[in-house]
Amino acid sequence: MDETQRRVDELRRRSSEVENHLIDELRAGKIGRREFIRRGAIAGTSIPLLGLVASACGVSREELERVDPPQTGAPQPGGTIRAGVLAPSGALDPLTVTDQGGLAVLGQSGEYLVWSDKELKPVPRLAESWESTEAGQVWRFKIRQGVSFHDGAPLTPEDVAATFNRLADPDAGSNALSVFGGVLSKGNAKAVDDTTVEFQLDAPNGNFPYLVSSDNYNAIVLPASYDGDWEKTFIGTGPWRLEQFRPGSGVSYVRNEDYWDPDRRTVADRNDFRFYSNEQAQVFGLQGNEVDVLLQFSVSGGKALLTDPDIRTIELQASAHRQIHLRNDVEPFKDKRVRQAMALLVNRRALVDGLLDTKSDFGNDSPFAPVFQSTADIAQREQDVRTAKELLAAAGKEDGFRVQLNTWNGFEMPDLAQLLQQDVRQAGITLDLTITDAGTYYGEATFGESPWLDSTMGITEYGHRGVPNVLLGAPLLSKGTWNGAHFKNERYDSLVADYVAAVDLDVQRARARQIQELLLDESPILFTYFYYYLTGTKNDVADVDVTAMGHIDLARTGRVA
Amino acid sequence: MAGFIGKRLVLSLITLLLLSIIVFVGSQVLPGDVGRNILGPFADQQAVDALNEQLGANESLISQYLDWIGGVLTLDMGDSLAFRRPVQEVLGDALVNSAKLALLAFIIVVPLSIAGGVYAALREGSTRDRLISLGGLSATAVPDFVWAVLLILVFSLVLGILPATATAPPESGFFTQVEYLILPAFCLVFVLFGYIARMARAGTIEALDADYTRTAVIKGLPQRTVVRRHVLRNSLLPTIAVIATQCGYLIGGLLVIETIFNYQGIGQSLFRAAQEKDFPLLQSGVMIVGIVYLVATLLADIAYSVLNPRVRLAQES
Repeated sequence: MDETQRRVDELRRRSSEVENHLIDELRAGKIGRREFIRRGAIAGTSIPLLGLVASACGVSREELERVDPPQTGAPQPGGTIRAGVLAPSGALDPLTVTDQGGLAVLGQSGEYLVWSDKELKPVPRLAESWESTEAGQVWRFKIRQGVSFHDGAPLTPEDVAATFNRLADPDAGSNALSVFGGVLSKGNAKAVDDTTVEFQLDAPNGNFPYLVSSDNYNAIVLPASYDGDWEKTFIGTGPWRLEQFRPGSGVSYVRNEDYWDPDRRTVADRNDFRFYSNEQAQVFGLQGNEVDVLLQFSVSGGKALLTDPDIRTIELQASAHRQIHLRNDVEPFKDKRVRQAMALLVNRRALVDGLLDTKSDFGNDSPFAPVFQSTADIAQREQDVRTAKELLAAAGKEDGFRVQLNTWNGFEMPDLAQLLQQDVRQAGITLDLTITDAGTYYGEATFGESPWLDSTMGITEYGHRGVPNVLLGAPLLSKGTWNGAHFKNERYDSLVADYVAAVDLDVQRARARQIQELLLDESPILFTYFYYYLTGTKNDVADVDVTAMGHIDLARTGRVA
Repeated sequence: MAGFIGKRLVLSLITLLLLSIIVFVGSQVLPGDVGRNILGPFADQQAVDALNEQLGANESLISQYLDWIGGVLTLDMGDSLAFRRPVQEVLGDALVNSAKLALLAFIIVVPLSIAGGVYAALREGSTRDRLISLGGLSATAVPDFVWAVLLILVFSLVLGILPATATAPPESGFFTQVEYLILPAFCLVFVLFGYIARMARAGTIEALDADYTRTAVIKGLPQRTVVRRHVLRNSLLPTIAVIATQCGYLIGGLLVIETIFNYQGIGQSLFRAAQEKDFPLLQSGVMIVGIVYLVATLLADIAYSVLNPRVRLAQES
């Protein structure tokens, strides 16, 4: 036995299962040194131990430090921070914004009652505190005093109430209606005194603070008199105020000298957002030194950044995922054994390691991502071709079948479709891929007029959420408007109602366990991975605060010497 | 000449009207509606309906078309549904950007390729001729996006001497703007050089072989005078037609180049308008590209008739 092997074996005995897996990947060359350190830190492995393992695997300490140089010193005041984001797809209006570029822009000059931080903890922002009464049906938020909008007008509870009544108004064209539908009706947010806003909900909701937080990105607090022309002023209460908006190309901000929170007074003097039309241009922009921060990049589009020594990657666990729906009401997926077999044929390890370069958590066929606090710890579903074939035989489909798989040509979804095609072929199942543009796939986005909602099998992209409420509802409830699986299960509906109403985390966890077990058994939708949120920054930039929702807080960001 | 131009203008207006109808009918085939496209597939249907109502997208298609065409006649193209700003404003910026890039590419590629083509023709069969002909053809055969990525990798990421994207920072001066446009302009030069140079070369070889050239040489005129007065005048006729047809492409057809270099030109604006089903923006954008095509071909015809007396005389008769 050689010396390297002996040292590695010795360290393995002291390491956990996750750490051993990491060692395997490093030795097999599946991950690089930088990735090894990053993953090890997430797993809780100490830096000295990581150094020892790397050294045992033939990587010197100097090499480790050279790959990911430690940042020293505090950000220096002054200067301009330049951030790259995808161009917002339409007019910038807090009521209608629906894409990441738009929401990132909203969050510079605008603020929320509650900030959902990168660990999904609700942090008081324009609300100082909150409490619920009547078992989660009524919520009261204490509004912070001494806060002003950029035009000098003071923030009042009336402004807050008007903001949420506008968002819940069915006639306002509000994108937040999909969050507030069945939760908050127009007129039920009221200023009850000089400092308090009360929300009378349509039904009890234990996670309501998240629905008024930055997770609901349309919910930036606006003046009661807001008339819809946000692009002219970018009005809000945030640490940055508008300097210049260049439609289609970018926006510049300067420090809001009257900002209420001294701890979040901006370090840099200016903040310049640059809009990009696609991910490739963004990557070139960061590498070509046009921007200091790239809000988000994918593994498939930004591989060059992961190996660039001048770029530092911020990696956040997230709940963003792809749903693979199997229509429960038509053949060949009417029998749940067939759906279970499909789930067992998928090689999730290959998806996570290959397709996503390990930057992902495993999915366990429910919306409960590992990142959610309420997710229960139940056994992970693994690939098991033998059992899958037995289930198919029991369902009378031992010879396999042929089915059409619909999706659209975005992100890594076409690659995922091809990998699924290979996986299920082992049981004689043939997937005919129909990959179109997004407009064709979503169609009119209503039942009967949308391949997304009507196809026998389809892959749909879902972004990050801070709590699983929306993901448990629309795609899976019997009357869900995004229920492409046509899954109808009364017990599920009842469990979700209990989960949503629960205020106590232990009760939420207990219901989550039941929901996870039910979905694992029924398998209406395959959730195979929850991919991480990746942000790129130049090495000389520090204290960039991002959330997996797509918010970027540059208030404390600056350059280091 | 005036009659000829008048006839062409009337034909151009009919062409534009037909174009507007084709785009209008074509845009109705696209799936989804503008409210759904703005709010996304996951938005509540009530919100989508309310937004469509606000934007006027619920009105009948004929009414939307007549509104738009009525506006155009009074030089008002309406508001972009997605951007909620006047179409003139959205397209104006994009048109200026496209024109800057097209002009720079034009200034480089036209003299370069004509000179290259004529030079190759004067040395027909030589190594230099083959170098220009085959080199130009090879450059044209490489797709524009390949050139784009290659140029960015070499000049921006490796050498670090030119910007990786084409949009200059706000308030940039003339030379900074040119610096930002050099790489995309050279992509276009590589794509167009082979085509234009080949036309110039073929025209020159034909003119060199013509009786009038032989007569001029026999008359004892110096070679430079023969080339300038007799050869170029005739050899450039087909080349002018080719250059004119490229003008529309340079203004409205650069989606790939604009996308890779993150440049807000007409190509990207049209693509987004089609994606968003933003009817006023799409329709007006296509009209502008159509007008550029028609004006360019009209100018080419005029230049053609000026250079070729036979055409001019035929028109006058």
